[in-house]
Amino acid sequence: MDQKNKVILKLENINQGYIVKDDIKQVVDNVSMEVRDNEFLVVLGPGHCGKTVLMNIIAGIESPVSGSVYLDGEKITGSDKRIGMVFQSLNLMPWRTVMGNVEFGLEISGMEKKERRKIAQKYIDLVGLTGFENSYPSQLSGGMKQRVGIARAYTNSPEILLMDEPFGQLDAQTRYSMQEEVLRIWEKEKRTIIFVTNNIEEAVYLADRIVLLSNCPAKVKQVYDLSKLERPRNVTDPEFLRIRKDISDNTDLAL
Amino acid sequence: MSKVARENLSAAEIREQRMKVLYKFLPVISIMTIIVLWLVAAGSSSGNFPSPADVWERTVRLFTHPVKKKNLFLHILASLNRVGLALLFNWTVGIAFGVMIGWYPKLRAFFSPLFDAFRAIPPLAWIPLITLWNGTGELSKVIIVIFGSLQSIVINVKAGLSTVDKMYLDVGTVFNATPTQRLFKIAIPSSLDAIFAGIRTSTSTAWMVVLAAEMLGAGNAGVGLLISRGMDSMDMPLVLTGMIAIGLVGALLAIITQFAERLICPWTRKTK
Amino acid sequence: MENIENQEYKVRVEHLTKYFGNLHVLDDVSFNIKKGEFLCVVGPTGCGKTTFLNLLTRIYMPTKGQLYIDNEPADPKKHNLAVVFQEPSSMPWLTVEQNLRFGMEIKKLPKNEIDARVENMIKLLGLEEFRDKYPHQLSVSTAQRIIIGRAFAMQPDLLLMDEPYGQMDIKLRFYLEDEVIRLWKETGTTVVFITHNIEEAVYLAERVLILTNKPAKIKEEVMIDLPRPRDVTAPEFIKLRNYITEQIKWW
Repeated sequence: MDQKNKVILKLENINQGYIVKDDIKQVVDNVSMEVRDNEFLVVLGPGHCGKTVLMNIIAGIESPVSGSVYLDGEKITGSDKRIGMVFQSLNLMPWRTVMGNVEFGLEISGMEKKERRKIAQKYIDLVGLTGFENSYPSQLSGGMKQRVGIARAYTNSPEILLMDEPFGQLDAQTRYSMQEEVLRIWEKEKRTIIFVTNNIEEAVYLADRIVLLSNCPAKVKQVYDLSKLERPRNVTDPEFLRIRKDISDNTDLAL
Repeated sequence: MSKVARENLSAAEIREQRMKVLYKFLPVISIMTIIVLWLVAAGSSSGNFPSPADVWERTVRLFTHPVKKKNLFLHILASLNRVGLALLFNWTVGIAFGVMIGWYPKLRAFFSPLFDAFRAIPPLAWIPLITLWNGTGELSKVIIVIFGSLQSIVINVKAGLSTVDKMYLDVGTVFNATPTQRLFKIAIPSSLDAIFAGIRTSTSTAWMVVLAAEMLGAGNAGVGLLISRGMDSMDMPLVLTGMIAIGLVGALLAIITQFAERLICPWTRKTK
Repeated sequence: MENIENQEYKVRVEHLTKYFGNLHVLDDVSFNIKKGEFLCVVGPTGCGKTTFLNLLTRIYMPTKGQLYIDNEPADPKKHNLAVVFQEPSSMPWLTVEQNLRFGMEIKKLPKNEIDARVENMIKLLGLEEFRDKYPHQLSVSTAQRIIIGRAFAMQPDLLLMDEPYGQMDIKLRFYLEDEVIRLWKETGTTVVFITHNIEEAVYLAERVLILTNKPAKIKEEVMIDLPRPRDVTAPEFIKLRNYITEQIKWW
């Protein structure tokens, strides 16, 4: 438990905006937060603004206008091997098989075929896709594609795993099953997870802590500590629903 | 009452199935219609338009009395040979050039105006210059085909490489891919469908341009030669034999490239 | 006799069955919908809900069975069916107001009738400021509200909704669900609402139809007679939600 308190990632005064038709549209407004080692942190926010941008900044896909990201106490700019990402739109490469997609990161890092196959297989097994190694993404269901994305992010053994609304495209039931699945995988292979969602129920089900963002531009509204809420959680438990309602009342309506 | 209704609906489904059968037969009917129209036209135009029987007879005679000592197959082969050489060049140089101007914005900015001007010139307009430089021989014909079919491959490859979906490149960024890896492991594979579109169109244009090249220049073989020979000697059955050969070989080439694409890009096959 | 009994039903579905080749998707589904009823259909993932919907809209013809509206076999030429899909399907080249008018103009309603209905709908949805905007200038939720408004404005015999709020966050969903209830009460439309989300079904429906796995049959009908506005944390609500979840849970 001591370990859990160690801060592994720190965002400091992150600001991000874009120029849209001679105007500056700010999407992230001075966001600071701390992420602790091996915790399941959920970044919750309404609408379609700020959350993905924040993840892209941590992953080094884009750089902020101002502010810094610290990993293990040192400032990082650009992408870092210690940070892996599960993308919102999956971003699976349709021309690669399940195996080809999962081993992609290892291939990029120049690992020998035999060795990377072994590691990729381990994570394919972990996410429950054994037997589908040679299938193409177009042959998989939505939930299975998501598993491929998770396995691919795990292969490079990142310290931090970013999951950007990974279940946004799934139906409510497949979503429940994938939430249970991601917790099972997390219990087995402990990593720090930063999970982005706009679904309050999903946030309360998964999180050790929730960082609630405002509507556009994204500011930190409140941080909720749910580490005392026992797992596995029950989405219709009165306590669960009470927390969900608290957060919901505190969330901006983004019509 | 509901029983009657149910039968009505099965009837609706039967109708659906009947339509499916119809869709299979309509192409056959269309081919038969063309042959009938051909027969009628040939019968009413007193000699200016040969009948299917005339054409068939002429085709057979082409094997017994070859033109320039070559039967129909050897003529087709000669044309295909030119197309093959030209496409070999286009698929290497053209794809490489397309990748370059598609992927590197600086090269695109430099080469695009030149290339746009080049592709606005019809390939046949090059014939005088090409024959002046290389004579009327084999090389000139191949060059004309190269000029004629280069642009379709370059344009398609360029389009593919300049519109690689950012989401695939983001994956590369997260895994720290080098610029070379980004090009060869992400950009090119993600553009394979565009590259194949280029291969398909360049194949069909090459096949059309080679006939034009053969009809214009002197030569010893080629389907184009058969047609111009038929034209010179008012041998219309020979012209039609050539035309039909062109159509059949063109369709065959389209099928082969499609098959190759499925073989090389198995992920485009949707199996359930 | 039978006719008298049937008259209170707006829609009757009898022995609806669908095969795709050898694949049996829907197996002998029969049910009735009262005029002005709000019916939710739930079922496990992949149970054939989409096929079910496409049979009701006559996109597919059933292998067996029939759909009656007002005691006549359903006929797109005579009856007025409206569908709302998960993805907003407004015409990008029309403004919000023109989109609202679109369906009614196709149906050749008199102009003053269209004007009145469009004004009423714009007021009900609070869309005055968006009236002259194009769909791409709106958020996804607003675009969807316009589609829903358009469907209600048509005053259809039957309105089918296929997970219209699938990917929206809870706060937004509650807002939109309250809105759809308001529209339904205002217009008295007969609604079939298909969803994967049990909480949503219990929140909206007067009656929930639970489908089984493929080939889909009706497993059970659950009446929801909770007072509105419903409280999702009320014990009776949770009891119903848990019960229905039990019936379809596969995960």
